[in-house]
Amino acid sequence: MLPNKKGKFGIFGGKFAPETLIEPLEELENSYKKISKTKEFRKKLNYLLNEYAGRPTPLYYAENFSKYVGFKVYLKREDLAFTGAHKINNTLGQVLLAKMMEKKRIIAETGAGQHGVATATSCALLNMECVIYMGEIDVERQKLNVYRMKLLGAKIISVSSGSKTLKDAINEAMRDWITNFKTTHYVIGSVVGPHPYPMIVRNFQSIIGKETKKQIMKKEKKLPDYLIACVGGGSNSIGLFYPFYKNKEVKFIGVEGGGLGINTDKHSATLSKGEKGILHGSFSYILQDNYGQIKETHSISAGLDYPGVGPEHAFYKETKRAEYFAVDDKTALKGFHILSELEGIIPALESSHAIGWLIENKERFKKDDIVVVCLSGRGDKDVMEVAKIEGEI
Amino acid sequence: MTEIEKKFKELKKKKEKALILYFTAGFPSFNSSIDIIKKSVEKGADIIEIGIPFSDPIADGPIIQYTSTKALENGINTDKCFQMAEILKNEINVPYLFMTYFNPVYKYGIEKFANRCVECGASGLIIPDLPFEESENLRKIVKERNMNLIYFLTPYTTEKRVKKIIKKANGFIYFISIAGVTGPRENLNSEVIDKLKKIKEITEIPVALGFGISTKEQINKVREYIEGIIIGSFFLQKIIDGKIEEVEKLIKEFKENLKY
Repeated sequence: MLPNKKGKFGIFGGKFAPETLIEPLEELENSYKKISKTKEFRKKLNYLLNEYAGRPTPLYYAENFSKYVGFKVYLKREDLAFTGAHKINNTLGQVLLAKMMEKKRIIAETGAGQHGVATATSCALLNMECVIYMGEIDVERQKLNVYRMKLLGAKIISVSSGSKTLKDAINEAMRDWITNFKTTHYVIGSVVGPHPYPMIVRNFQSIIGKETKKQIMKKEKKLPDYLIACVGGGSNSIGLFYPFYKNKEVKFIGVEGGGLGINTDKHSATLSKGEKGILHGSFSYILQDNYGQIKETHSISAGLDYPGVGPEHAFYKETKRAEYFAVDDKTALKGFHILSELEGIIPALESSHAIGWLIENKERFKKDDIVVVCLSGRGDKDVMEVAKIEGEI
Repeated sequence: MTEIEKKFKELKKKKEKALILYFTAGFPSFNSSIDIIKKSVEKGADIIEIGIPFSDPIADGPIIQYTSTKALENGINTDKCFQMAEILKNEINVPYLFMTYFNPVYKYGIEKFANRCVECGASGLIIPDLPFEESENLRKIVKERNMNLIYFLTPYTTEKRVKKIIKKANGFIYFISIAGVTGPRENLNSEVIDKLKKIKEITEIPVALGFGISTKEQINKVREYIEGIIIGSFFLQKIIDGKIEEVEKLIKEFKENLKY
């Protein structure tokens, strides 16, 4: 079972955190191990996931889209989970855990605002104080989500240090946690950060893959040939992949944000173009310059716009358990349009990368292949942005 | 014996405590940070920490995040920091260390980085995001070159862990005075003194107190339990505000307070 005791997936992961964080991380790991196994926790979380968040989400056979690409495509409909994305799976789990750890206050970072909204929602429900760190540039870009979080009772702290985006919001949230860990739990939104975060977030997200496995067996009486998902930090993809890890016949494909092209310096294709390094507490692939300074990234989708990636993905890449590709903004937009037109489903721009890659690479697949794509979120949040880009408004 | 170890020995003989100062290399500029370091040694600094800026310094507060961002915008990089140290080597007569995050060291190549440190006359390394558990390889490399890899302890480090770290600690122990990031604070927690007393009971290695130090009162309160204090953000804020003369004056005063 990975990660090992040191929080490593092969050589990746670990706990590259200041000494001040070592005790809080140990406390979190021990509490997680203890609490998450209890009947009380599992019962409560299952109840919330089913009755509140709307799980299980459907595994939908996209017939029109399948005809278009020439093989069977199922969509795992995380866009139908409450708040419109898979993020709620993790935030309900972590906020419930924090409550049972008797923490009073929750902090989180957010880029596009999806994880922030999911955290604020979980805090409203479970009656916890909630503070969300968000880069100043993102606050400006994502006004609607900022307002949603405020409606839910969260306090938003606009971060104006560094590049004023997601990575800086994570830095600030970590600093808050270093200072206030006695009362506060930090809900990281992806499978990144120091151990035990990549493991905890993966485990809460692996409900995606567990449900998929049951659903596909019921519908097809066999496992899928391919699992495809977009990768930013990598939580929806690991959530889908992980329960199939031992089923070697099931191939994993992760699709990163290629931005304006991976041969430009405006992309966020960490696994495709990055190098090994240390960011936000773990050893993984990162985008950095020759001196190890973290680079600024670009993607049309804010959820993929991050210069690091979860260490378990780095491990999957290194061991060739998964393959990773990048598609550019344009291809993602193509996926966005085609799925909307053929299935009446407007996908999030993040998930549109997986759809776009599948369209561009349909020749790789055989007629009787079964492909599951994780539709990690709904596209309503992106409609204005796309309309702007395409000159509709 | 490393230069740092010699320094602490010498100070002990004189019944003084070490004044250790951190400066971000390249802030406000390459040349002015050299001048500031030179002046602070003249005024009484015993050991200098040269900060190689990192884009994402999670253990640091807003002041060092700011000076690091500015220094990087001004074009500083690891090689230029080494150049700076090579200049300083001939200008100052106190030991100095490099402080940076692990990624710039890893990217540079750990051995290559350590070799450059030796060439520049550095006596040690401080890497706040390299925890004890991951540090064995670097500690070995640094030791082979007669330098120190400095370890951290905090008021919240468990007793078991304190013992484990102290066994391998060398040079001095960087004791973090608070739960938090770098940056000036008014008070000092009483837990700090309790913990310092306990550490003294089990080790001879000098202990230097850092994070949040900004007043003589704080220094007087802890002086008998430590061998040094570390100041960074407090003076950097004054440099940001253009109050270099005040920095020089305070260095002198602080150093006076560290003598018996």
